[in-house]
Amino acid sequence: MIRFVDATKIYSNGVVGLKNVTVKIDKGEFVFIIGASGSGKSTFLKLIMHEETPTEGEVYVNGYSVHNMPKSEVPYLRRSLGIVFQDFRLLPNKTAYDNVAFAMQIVEALPREIRRQVPLALGLVGLSKKAKAYPSQLSGGEQQRVALARALVNNPAVLIADEPTGNLDPKTSMEIMELLDEINQRGTTVIVATHEKSIVDAMKKRVITLDRGELISDVKKGSYTNED
Amino acid sequence: MKIRTLRLLAKEGTKNVYKNKLMSFASLATILATLFVLGLVLLIIVNVTTNLEAKKQDLQVKFYLRVDATRLEEEEVALFIEQSRASGVVAEYQYESREQAYENAKKDLKYEALMEGLTPENFAVGYFVTLTNPNDSDQFIARLKLFSGVDSQWITYPKQELERISGMVRVFNYVALFVIAVLMVISILLISNTIRLTVFARRKEIEIMKYVGANDWFIRFPFIIEGMLIGLLGALLSHLLTSQAYGWIKDGLNTLFNSIKISGLQLVEFGELSIRILVVNVLFGVTIGIIGSFMSVKKHLNV
Ligand SMILES: Nc1ncnc2c1ncn2[C@@H]1O[C@H](COP(=O)(O)OP(=O)(O)OP(=O)(O)O)[C@@H](O)[C@H]1O
Ligand SMILES: [Mg+2]
Repeated sequence: MIRFVDATKIYSNGVVGLKNVTVKIDKGEFVFIIGASGSGKSTFLKLIMHEETPTEGEVYVNGYSVHNMPKSEVPYLRRSLGIVFQDFRLLPNKTAYDNVAFAMQIVEALPREIRRQVPLALGLVGLSKKAKAYPSQLSGGEQQRVALARALVNNPAVLIADEPTGNLDPKTSMEIMELLDEINQRGTTVIVATHEKSIVDAMKKRVITLDRGELISDVKKGSYTNED
Repeated sequence: MKIRTLRLLAKEGTKNVYKNKLMSFASLATILATLFVLGLVLLIIVNVTTNLEAKKQDLQVKFYLRVDATRLEEEEVALFIEQSRASGVVAEYQYESREQAYENAKKDLKYEALMEGLTPENFAVGYFVTLTNPNDSDQFIARLKLFSGVDSQWITYPKQELERISGMVRVFNYVALFVIAVLMVISILLISNTIRLTVFARRKEIEIMKYVGANDWFIRFPFIIEGMLIGLLGALLSHLLTSQAYGWIKDGLNTLFNSIKISGLQLVEFGELSIRILVVNVLFGVTIGIIGSFMSVKKHLNV
């Protein structure tokens, strides 16, 4: 499903983002990417979503080879992914409903499908009642739920989340994590970058640890400190 | 892209016009100002060209038959001129018979003694012909010379005057074209700058759309619709404004011409040009809007 083969990312200013990472994430897995600040977690995810391309090595995502990918194919790669960010990234002048619908309009879904799927997605994240609210009228947790609904609505094979709970309080964070777990139960591969110890420890999922761009450990049912 | 997607995006672009009121207003003002200037420039061009063309129309081909031309030869020429008018080559003409020439001469000459012994038979038949297209004069004169009745030495046409006017028209057209091109470039720069501000304010949105997997056209199309609508609105407003302003200018200039006794100059009525000016306004407005949008979104699409 996702495969890094000796992937290295050196940014244009010479900073090493990722160094010789080889790893494989299978369909249906739930994976945490952890490590200190600057260890390369975001870089790892950016390579998956083709925000950055590897300087050396290869990254394969859902059958796409990210290296030398033509610019026109990037939207298709991104549509096979659901992406969630720390800062939610909702379109400010669209309601919760329209933000989710947007992801379906991009893939030119039938209006009938959109009317069916969007309420389902909003229901799944528990936001049916706030469908008409604009992002500015929603709390951080609610905004992140909308972002999750948007990431899910097209049934992507993989869901990527970069510090999805970074701006949320512990209780809300746990709720979002439970949602991610639920989504994972339904068959979607989930990859979460985080440095929140409590969450990683509670979830007992596969944990990949990065340190200064290098993959230093990869544990099946890990915890933040890797003493499994 | 599917039709329903295009419709959706067109709706999106339309909504954006009034959701981003300030930017829409700024773009509208820019387009309005440039189209207004363009409209006035066009009106100046049309007026100058029209007056120059009118001057060309005043130039006449004058020719006389030989004094000893026979009736048959006279009729031949008369028939030719009449046919030329029927076919539209000749716009209008005046005919001067031998008698009229005699009478005119008598009026003009101060000393009646000089007229003594002269009868109308000593005078030649004359024609003063206005051609529909002054540029046909060479050809027309060549054909006249084929008639045995025509006195080919006395065919006159103010060719130098024509060439002078044609030259002026030509130079003026080049200048006008240049001015319009400059205006067009300036307005595209201005408008793309304004739209760039809009796009810059919305670059986060563009970025988000790209993350969700929107392709370039999906993002670009609403902006283009937006630019097009603003261009169209600017064109219509500019048309109203131009017509008002031209009315005032025309009245003012006509009063001025009258007071300083310039005659022969006349300003074209706006009504005659209204549709043409509107078409130019709309074409320019919409083109400027579209190109402006296109240029300003371009940069931000490389996320
Ligand atoms: N666009 C960039 N240009 C240059 N250097 C970059 C860029 N993005 C990241 N880096 C550098 O690459 C290294 C890895 O960054 P990355 O963002 O992947 O870390 P991270 O693990 O996500 O950190 P954090 O927990 O703070 O989000 C850092 O040293 C960072 O400064
Ligand atoms: Mg990061």
